[in-house]
Amino acid sequence: MNASSPVPPSAPPLERAYRPQTSRQARRSIWTVFCVCASAAIALFFIPAFVIRPFRYQGPRALWLAMALRQRAPLGTLIAALACLVPAFALWRTVGLWRKGLLVLTLLAVTFSAVMARLNYFEWMFHPVDSPRFDAEAQSKLDPKEMILAVRLGSDARAYPISQMAYHHVLNDVVGGVPVAVTY
Amino acid sequence: MNGKTLHFYLAGINNQNFLMRDRETGTWWQQITGKAIYGPLRGASLELVLSDELTYGEWKSETTGGLVLAQVPKYVKEYDSNWEPEVAKYPVVISFPGTELKSRDVVVGLESEGSDRAYPWDALVKQSPVLDRVHGTPLLVAVGPDGKSFRVFVSRIGGHDAEFFLKSESKDWILLDTETASEWNFQGCATSGPAQGKCLDRIPALKDYWFDWRNYHPSTTIYKH
Repeated sequence: MNASSPVPPSAPPLERAYRPQTSRQARRSIWTVFCVCASAAIALFFIPAFVIRPFRYQGPRALWLAMALRQRAPLGTLIAALACLVPAFALWRTVGLWRKGLLVLTLLAVTFSAVMARLNYFEWMFHPVDSPRFDAEAQSKLDPKEMILAVRLGSDARAYPISQMAYHHVLNDVVGGVPVAVTY
Repeated sequence: MNGKTLHFYLAGINNQNFLMRDRETGTWWQQITGKAIYGPLRGASLELVLSDELTYGEWKSETTGGLVLAQVPKYVKEYDSNWEPEVAKYPVVISFPGTELKSRDVVVGLESEGSDRAYPWDALVKQSPVLDRVHGTPLLVAVGPDGKSFRVFVSRIGGHDAEFFLKSESKDWILLDTETASEWNFQGCATSGPAQGKCLDRIPALKDYWFDWRNYHPSTTIYKH
């Protein structure tokens, strides 16, 4: 055996030479995917919340967009949030500290949006009456000067004090067998 | 709706008239019109149930065996009997300059055969009972004996147009009609005289702020006397 037979020089692996280049491009696309998913999730919550806010004018097109997004937000934010996680994991090991921070903050905003898309914050301001209770007229201590909304259907008569309705705004009831939504 | 019972919840605000959605389909509905404006039932309308805005005292005097919505104990603090002056101070986001009413003026609005009409509340209180004609229909708009309750009637007795006025020599709130000289109560029913037992037809009416009524009834006219 020829001990001195030259060991073929270990050729620099091609892949190593090109990896940084591909990786930078790949990372850029992963960041793009992450940003698109995150923006979608955040927009699905924040656009409707911004448009449908009290004491502000709602234009017809803005309102339409707000309702369209809000309608799709529960599922949409969930899909977008899950879709965010994949690129976030991929990026996590390759990025420095401040980018990690950016990832975490963005994911927090995404999670917040996904949670808020499922919650009705209008009912935090004005709590609904889940199962309305009634007093017989003889038992009620309501002041005779208080204003009420009155409904009579068949032999059923109801009085809904306006001071209560102005807070709850909507009440579901059945009067004389007819389901009614009482609003103020 | 189509044989299915819908349950509504507060879902937002549209120029200070609220939006509600139903749990069953997620459709969005406008409070004042009862119309579905977005979602699976878009275009549908809820049927308006005749209702009254009365003082509790007036209601009690007319009703036996009725039920009164009980307060939800944990929200009692939130109920505010004096909400009206508070809300009147809130800013408005839409206004109709050039109309003779101010945005937060209270009106009674009604629709009669496609014509909309608004009655300024202050004028009603001063002039009640108000006789008017909207699209050919003779109307009687009455503020009740308590000065706060109101109702709108078609002022026709047995197919004949009639006029009504307050019986001045009486301490009680009694209307007299010019057709039969019968006495009528605030429920719109004749309590004595030739028409006794008859009741006038009712028209639904809504007490609302001018800006909100005008926003949803762009062709509304305003009652003037």
